[in-house]
Amino acid sequence: MISVGVDLGTSTTQLIFSKLTLANTAPAFTVPRMEILHREILYRSAIHLTPLLGTDTLDAEAIAAILTEEYRLAGMRPETVQTGAVVITGETARKENARAVLEAISHLAGEFVVATAGPALESVLAARGAGAESLAKSMGKRLLHLDIGGGTTNLALLDAEGRIVQTGCLNVGGRLVKLNPDGVVTYVSPTLFGLDTPAVGERATPESLAPLLAQLVAALEEAVGLRPATALLRDRITDQTISTQPPVEALSFSGGVAALLDEKEENWLAYGDLGVLLARAIAASRLFTLPHDLGRETIRATVVGAGNYATELSGSTIFHRHAVFPLHDLPVAPLEKENLADGIRQGLALHGYDVPIALALPRQEALDYDGLTRLAETIADGAKGQGREVPLVVVLEQDMAKALGQALATLVPPEKPLICLDGLYTPPGSYLDLAAPVGGGTALPVVIKTLAFV
Amino acid sequence: MDRQELKEMVAQLLLEMDKPQPAKTAGSGDVLPDLTAVDLRGEYLVENPVNGEAFRRLKQKTSARLGLGRAGSRYKTASMLRFRADHAAAQDSVFSLVPPSFAEENGLVAVQTKCRDKEEYLTRPDLGRRFDEPQQAVIREACGKNPRALLVIGDGLSSDAILANAMDCAKAIRQGLKTHGIELGKTLYVQFARVGASDHIGEITGAELVCMLVGERPGLTTSESMSAYITYMPRPGIAESKRTVVSNIHRHGTLALEAGAHIAELMVTMLEKKASGVDLR
Amino acid sequence: MTLKTMLFGRVYGFASVKEVLAKANEEKSGDRLAGIAAEDARERVAAKIVLANLTLRDLRENPAVPYEDDEVTRIIQDDLNERIYASIAGWTVSELREWLLDEATTEADIRRISRGLTAEMAAAVAKLMGNLDLITAAAKIHITAHCNTTIGLPGTLSCRLQPNHTTDDPDGILASLVEGLSFGAGDAVLGLNPVTDSSQRLGEILRRFDEVRNRWEIPTQICVLGHVTTQMESIRQGAPADLIFQSIAGSQKGNEAFGITAALLEEARLQALRDGTATGPNVMYFETGQGSELSSEAHHGADQVTMEARCYGFARHFSPFLVNTVVGFIGPEYLYDAKQVTRAGLEDHFMGKLLGVPMGCDACYTNHMKADQNDIENLATLLTAAGCNYFMGIPHGDDVMLNYQTTGYRETATLRTLFGKTAIAPFQAWLERMGFVENGRLTAKAGDGSVLLGEVRHG
Repeated sequence: MISVGVDLGTSTTQLIFSKLTLANTAPAFTVPRMEILHREILYRSAIHLTPLLGTDTLDAEAIAAILTEEYRLAGMRPETVQTGAVVITGETARKENARAVLEAISHLAGEFVVATAGPALESVLAARGAGAESLAKSMGKRLLHLDIGGGTTNLALLDAEGRIVQTGCLNVGGRLVKLNPDGVVTYVSPTLFGLDTPAVGERATPESLAPLLAQLVAALEEAVGLRPATALLRDRITDQTISTQPPVEALSFSGGVAALLDEKEENWLAYGDLGVLLARAIAASRLFTLPHDLGRETIRATVVGAGNYATELSGSTIFHRHAVFPLHDLPVAPLEKENLADGIRQGLALHGYDVPIALALPRQEALDYDGLTRLAETIADGAKGQGREVPLVVVLEQDMAKALGQALATLVPPEKPLICLDGLYTPPGSYLDLAAPVGGGTALPVVIKTLAFV
Repeated sequence: MDRQELKEMVAQLLLEMDKPQPAKTAGSGDVLPDLTAVDLRGEYLVENPVNGEAFRRLKQKTSARLGLGRAGSRYKTASMLRFRADHAAAQDSVFSLVPPSFAEENGLVAVQTKCRDKEEYLTRPDLGRRFDEPQQAVIREACGKNPRALLVIGDGLSSDAILANAMDCAKAIRQGLKTHGIELGKTLYVQFARVGASDHIGEITGAELVCMLVGERPGLTTSESMSAYITYMPRPGIAESKRTVVSNIHRHGTLALEAGAHIAELMVTMLEKKASGVDLR
Repeated sequence: MTLKTMLFGRVYGFASVKEVLAKANEEKSGDRLAGIAAEDARERVAAKIVLANLTLRDLRENPAVPYEDDEVTRIIQDDLNERIYASIAGWTVSELREWLLDEATTEADIRRISRGLTAEMAAAVAKLMGNLDLITAAAKIHITAHCNTTIGLPGTLSCRLQPNHTTDDPDGILASLVEGLSFGAGDAVLGLNPVTDSSQRLGEILRRFDEVRNRWEIPTQICVLGHVTTQMESIRQGAPADLIFQSIAGSQKGNEAFGITAALLEEARLQALRDGTATGPNVMYFETGQGSELSSEAHHGADQVTMEARCYGFARHFSPFLVNTVVGFIGPEYLYDAKQVTRAGLEDHFMGKLLGVPMGCDACYTNHMKADQNDIENLATLLTAAGCNYFMGIPHGDDVMLNYQTTGYRETATLRTLFGKTAIAPFQAWLERMGFVENGRLTAKAGDGSVLLGEVRHG
């Protein structure tokens, strides 16, 4: 399966192609279990500066040109790309035409390429792309991953098992102040309000910028829990920060600024922004008193995450009939055990009877055949109001989708499309994209676009 | 003492507080807790480990009996008794019979291979694959002539496996086939069954496809594991490689219902392609 | 050649050497299943009497499977030293038995005579021996072999660390591996039975073993027990393997059921010597077990002890580092209960050593057999007294992947202490260096696998 990842960041735009190898990992003579076994990066683009028209508008044409050229260099065509994600990150997401550009680009990239934005997903992708999950697991520590880019720092908190449990995002980045080669300030991000910022046109020095850097680093220290939280942190939060109870035990870093942590760049103006100085300040800060490590990827962590980790697979014993894939942006309707049929009716009322929605079943107690039949009857009853041609989509975590699907198949009109998937954790408020089955029809590639963590 | 050590000490204390306290006075009404209710994966009995937390995490990834400490170079009493308990369950499951009420209550047609008892069943695999004349007549009567698909439940090496899984799995198979327009006839229950008994049943009835649910040889992890052996045109002497096998059906493996749904679709494919086992690829 | 005897006033006659061999066997359910066992206890003894008076020449000239039909027979016959054979061809089986047990007969004498023995001779003499005879004769013989270290030296008892896992999960395997090492298991080999027999999977596990070995500088061997062809493919792809494993049988037909020929095994051996990671020269690992030929209908009407001996005659052609009988795995239709398993374990170990292969034993049982952990603890103790090279080491004796029970890490440790034995010298030194063993006893650290888990990296 060929996957693409595109990261439209505050300062840079990048793209990767990778090959996701699917394999049945179940022992012989048992039911199949398809998994993404290997993720091999086939092509990494050059790191382009994100083209802007003025300060507030993305240069859609220039971006499209970059992508077209990179597809050509990589020898890829949109038709050959089966999955992937375009993410628009950091300050770029706040540009006026961001949404339009994003959608245009995702169409350019391939049919099942997901267009997405939102700091939560960004944080998850950056942490995964940097390999923070295996790092936390091997350290056995509660680890905070910081992806420090041009505009924002994305936070992903992982438990000792390597699971991402929480995300956050702060306006701390290397490109919030831009300078010309003489050190004259050319841009100051409005997100730096309340800090000791230089004025545009002023000639800055490392010394004159020191108070600002100290404030940015202090905000990170507060986020990690190494200092009590103050307004410094609160004013930097874009949507939320992470909880520091229980305490963070280790750190890992990625992003453009992280790439400078190991480099000894002499010229602080090498990139025409705060990056070099911010990296120096972080290395000298309290952050480095915790066990820490650089990610497997640094500046490319987000794009690698988008290419390699945006797509997951459903369970391998699932049910689907008459469905036309791909299906995009299915809102998840979380259901409770009590009044299941009513919950379904409310979900339909909320999202509409003519659009497919994903009914997310709660965990079931050990079911026998009669219990399964009753569950199927309840679902069919609740979904009665849905249009006959609209696919009934049921998702759950436990491995029982095929049995449930077969039971449902006898209860809903024979021509009604029906999809029943397991092995998926779908947080409330998330949206699903479903691609055509792979692995001989045994599993579906799924992108769960999580907008918030519980 | 650094922060890490302090944390571990606190964790250890909390762990000990959580453990059930032994009863101070064991009167006649007291009951010792069920040894087999403990999830061994969570247990960690090594004293003063160097990196106990890291080992406990690794141990979660395996059902192997690890981190259970020692008494000299021998086993701790608790882990030794747990082993013996699990072995006892396995042995009882092999050597006990599925009660006759199982077939009656579930509307199954009960037959028996040429084996007279468990002893003979265990030492004479050849007899566990064949039926005598009167039993053949029962099978012929129950299944009719040349059925498309037959479902057979055999005790095999685990009566526990059959009692725990067979009926849920069988019902799911029946339903799954029904969605494809295939109606199953009566289900057979075979006592003292080897997998090869399904070949003789194939010969007796002329069935095109036979699916046999059979109890697996129990391990210590579970005594309830069941397999399905599905054979296209099963006749005595057919190569084992011509069977399609779905194993590890139990509450901690593939659930019986989901396995049944999967098996039903496999059976549909086999009838379409007129093949099973290695021929199915 | 006399195939008849009088016993209790009755004449017992046998049609062939093969029938004599079969009926002289101690009782085994497999021989009964094959329909070749003695009718009753008296006929069994009558067969033993006839067998005792057969000469070694009679046995050489009547192999269980004809020379023309079977490459196992051909290899065994062609590998003999004819001069040594000529010197003993006239011995009766009884004379061979008493010579082996004689105090004046040295280990060197036995090793020399071994070069003139066929498998049928080794099987024949085993059938005339009691259990303590088998132990006594076997204890005289030490068969050593060298891969990266030397196995089988006097005073050592080794252990194959078998960290099997239901899904080959790398972390789960690692957990079993490090705990086993901390108990002193693993000097024979770190050897896993994979769930999935693919070259890729084998490569992954071999690399993991290699990492652990290199990380802690452990002097031992590594092996993943896939099919021989899968292992060869894996080595071709660059995987680090010391030993190549294969299950073998005592007839060509039995080997065909395993998908192997002698030529294939030789190709594998040469590949391991050329592209493997071991020092050598012994780079093969074979497993056997009474009854496997019957289960693939490849026994040619011969009994399971004779067919087992032929495995060892075949094995020695490839100068293996490890050979073990998996004695209780096959099930009650071949070995009914603990008594039969014990007997088979002692027979196999003795016959293997007599034929010159470095013998270990997987002293084990399945849950449909009338045996339990006590029985294999007995067998392991008897085999340690008999000088067995190695046992299996599995967490608590419970193999969660193969669903059978065998000896655990603690068994080797206990038997070493009881019999004053150690692991292979460099491995023993490693155990002491790591602090798991001190003065031949387990230390407080032993059994704590976490000692071998990586340190957390601090900035």
